[in-house]
Amino acid sequence: MNNELMFFMLSAVILVFSVLTVTTRKILRAAVYLLFVLVATAGLYFQLNYNFLAAVQLTVYAGGIVVLIIFSILLTSHISERAPIASAARAALAALVTVAGAILTLITVMQFTFRPAGIPPISPNVKNVGRALVSYGTDGYALPFEAISILLLAAMIGAIVVARKESNNQSTK
Amino acid sequence: MTFHNILIMRHELLLTIVMLLVLIIDLFATGNNRKLIIPIALILFLTVTAIGFLPAQYGQLFGGMYITSGTTILMKNVLNIAVFIILLQSVAWLKLEENKQKLAEYFVLILSTLIGMNFMISSGDFLMLYIGLETATIPLAALAAYTHHQTKSAEAGIKLILSSALSSGIMLYGISMVYGTTGSVSFAEVALQWGNAPLQMLAFLFFFAGMAFKISLVPFHLWTADVYEGAPVNVTSYLSVVSKGSAAFVLMLVLFRVFPSIVEHWQKVLYAIAVLTMTVGNLFALRQQNLKRFLAFSSIAQAGFILLGIIGASPLGMSTVIFFVLAYVFTNLAAFGVISAVSSATGKENMADYNGLYQTNPKLSLLLMLALFSLAGIPPVAGFFGKFFLFASAASKGFYWLVFIAVVNATVSLYYYLLPVKAMFINKNEQPVPTFRSDFYMKAGLLLAAAGTLAVGMLSIGYEYIASFSYGLQ
Amino acid sequence: MAFDIYDFTSLTSSIHEGLATFLPPVGVLVAEWLLVGISVLLFVAVFGLILVYLERKVCALFQQRLGPMRVGKWGLLQTVADFIKLLMKELITPNKADKFLYNLAPFIVIIVTFMAIAAIPFAKGLQAIDFDIGVLYVSAVASLGVIGILLAGWSSNNKYSLIGAMRSGAQIISYELSVGLSLITMIILAGSMQISEIIQAQSTGWFIFTGHIPAIIAFIVFLIAGTAETNRGPFDLAEAESELTAGFHTEYSGIKFAFFFLAEYVNLFIVSAMATVLFLGGWMPFHVGSFEGFNAVMDFVPPIFWFFGKVMFVIFVIMWFKWTFPRLRIDQILTLEWKYLLPINLLNILLMTLIVLMGWHF
Repeated sequence: MNNELMFFMLSAVILVFSVLTVTTRKILRAAVYLLFVLVATAGLYFQLNYNFLAAVQLTVYAGGIVVLIIFSILLTSHISERAPIASAARAALAALVTVAGAILTLITVMQFTFRPAGIPPISPNVKNVGRALVSYGTDGYALPFEAISILLLAAMIGAIVVARKESNNQSTK
Repeated sequence: MTFHNILIMRHELLLTIVMLLVLIIDLFATGNNRKLIIPIALILFLTVTAIGFLPAQYGQLFGGMYITSGTTILMKNVLNIAVFIILLQSVAWLKLEENKQKLAEYFVLILSTLIGMNFMISSGDFLMLYIGLETATIPLAALAAYTHHQTKSAEAGIKLILSSALSSGIMLYGISMVYGTTGSVSFAEVALQWGNAPLQMLAFLFFFAGMAFKISLVPFHLWTADVYEGAPVNVTSYLSVVSKGSAAFVLMLVLFRVFPSIVEHWQKVLYAIAVLTMTVGNLFALRQQNLKRFLAFSSIAQAGFILLGIIGASPLGMSTVIFFVLAYVFTNLAAFGVISAVSSATGKENMADYNGLYQTNPKLSLLLMLALFSLAGIPPVAGFFGKFFLFASAASKGFYWLVFIAVVNATVSLYYYLLPVKAMFINKNEQPVPTFRSDFYMKAGLLLAAAGTLAVGMLSIGYEYIASFSYGLQ
Repeated sequence: MAFDIYDFTSLTSSIHEGLATFLPPVGVLVAEWLLVGISVLLFVAVFGLILVYLERKVCALFQQRLGPMRVGKWGLLQTVADFIKLLMKELITPNKADKFLYNLAPFIVIIVTFMAIAAIPFAKGLQAIDFDIGVLYVSAVASLGVIGILLAGWSSNNKYSLIGAMRSGAQIISYELSVGLSLITMIILAGSMQISEIIQAQSTGWFIFTGHIPAIIAFIVFLIAGTAETNRGPFDLAEAESELTAGFHTEYSGIKFAFFFLAEYVNLFIVSAMATVLFLGGWMPFHVGSFEGFNAVMDFVPPIFWFFGKVMFVIFVIMWFKWTFPRLRIDQILTLEWKYLLPINLLNILLMTLIVLMGWHF
């Protein structure tokens, strides 16, 4: 009962702010609405007793990604800027596509009879999560863990390549 | 898992080592020493490529997350060769003054994307597939924006990253549905449980759309032309050859491994997409003036042909796809190599600039002609056999109409592939591109590509060799 | 109602049972939410005031002054008077500000501190939530505070605010790494992220003693990074008066300004509390090996006094920093983090791992 109440509250927050995120004309507000969506999602994870994922959601998405987004907005846009209003035809088309997509997905999801997974559930406490992250047998995630570090390294180097200023007065002696 | 086992993944391990080595060497390189990175990196990469051909064990690692077989190793070797040629061809461009400061980064980024592709090919579940895909994509955006002081290059980078983010999102949505309906992301497990419920169909479509973005199949191709035009030539050739080839391999592997149970359904999807892709690619290629844009649309059309091999869902189709990609690698790299040589010597990339190129640079003109003939599918060069095998494999499964449409398209493509040839040999030009000499690396790169184009065409042994591998998978 | 100053478990459970006798389960839950909420609110308000008073007194101490003396005995009521004055002030919203975000920002900052306090153990059994990821939770929640600062700076539509917000954003994001890494160092030693378990593991000796070299390094790094995290001097260039008026909260007045002010001091408390929990044994009394008599005397002091004593000590040290060191430039701040603290931290983690693996800790 309590759980359901919390679930509906969090879902309402997620839905309302998701819509606001894409409809607001002020870009920083969009970022803040996105923050609410992400925090509410973390709340859902807490509801599922998946504390670790919830904290990661808070650190990585709310504390990391949204901060980066806000930072780049601070660097690039001015407070008086507004996104241009989309033409009526475009807005109608976008609404149509969105609604049609949502209905299609909903119908297909409703039609599907979900079965519980065959494997017994594992308690998502930190110990199990940690073990799974670095073990390399079945149900271990050492390989993706390492592969992601290559991805992050490459992304970092890529970002530096793009962001670095060219030094014009490079002496060729 | 023992040390011996881990050598199964030697492609990825060696590439990672080389990548880190280049990065570390760059830290200690100063001033003119920096140029030494080029030969060092090339030699290291050549070694890796050579080691890739040594006989290897096949198997699984990490609980089935990583799978190798004869086919995957062959695919990786094809990619390695392609990357080696591209690296050779990009040396002249890297030595330009503006790129001096970021030599090593070019190698590191290329290698990291290659690692991503290798992981993608060897992935045994959707998680590794997705990570591989991202590793193969995100650094590419930085590469596309490599000469970011040029607006077009920066635009290419941002277009690539935004469109790939969108496609990743769609694909992830599909994967989440896969996980939701089967409770697993492992290929083997999903394949067992896959049915044709509407939700699973939707999941498949989303996943397919994500992959189609990478291969730039119509209607997911809109990013291609702008990115190809804006990116530096060598990055464009990397995008159109290695990135596209690897994505085609992966699409094929996933379709065969994970979705065999709904083969009739995805054949219909592929049928429609193949027809669209070939036709639209050809029609747009007809009207391009910039050679990079021209090759972009031609590569879209070529991707449509690749689908002909996949659609048969047979081992025969699989080997024809690998063979076609091999031919496509050499052919396209020969074409891009010439463009790269001209571009880094003079900065010109338009078809009109190539008028009368034969008078001043006969060797390059001949080579570009060879490549275009191969792309058009004129015997006896590689492209002809590639296309021929693809058509044969599709026809053997009864897709006669599709083959007919493909043949019509191939005929149309003849026209526009001959346009640059006409420009080089027949059109008059007051001020043709002046005669210039390429450096050793460029010559080696062009020579390799040309030799490959001819050799793959002449020797059908290559085909037999590939076919011998392709029965391991169904 | 069983009240035991050494163990609040019986008190909290008796409250729970008492509520359960006349309320349905949902009611009990709501009532407990309210109770916890009100106590945290009260604590934040009162403790914030105390800290502000303390800061002024410490400042005066270092500058050889007396500090506030007029209002109440030794000026004890000074901050209360200040607070009442703040409440009375007019709330001004700048003309072209983004009103929604401008009003939202102080709430984000203050709510975040509330969320973090929920996981702080004041004494045995006196902790609102004891997550199995407690430490991670606190650092995750604390990392949200910077959003409020960034929003405040941007939505004020004032160049000083914006510059202040950018500086503090860059600073907080950078130093979050060091805070996180030094926390990880101690988590390796503790073997758990649950705050109650971490404290329990220190019953035989505080981590700063049992973990010796790496623990001390981590403690120092944590203090430096924690000071920077809370935007306090010598890292307070986000609100450097001499150049930026008041930084990101230049445009705020009245109660909204009070929120930022209060949040800063509560954050100071949270950083000190985390330092206490991870390095100084939380509410654990000071024990020395097998000196039974000495340990018994130490046990006599209730845990809540131990906790606040240690927290006050850490707070004092951080205030000491503020009134001793000159303010750093932004490039110096970032250099300190990225070129010194971060590598030191990474090596320190390796060292700690080695020590834990070899069993070289006490």
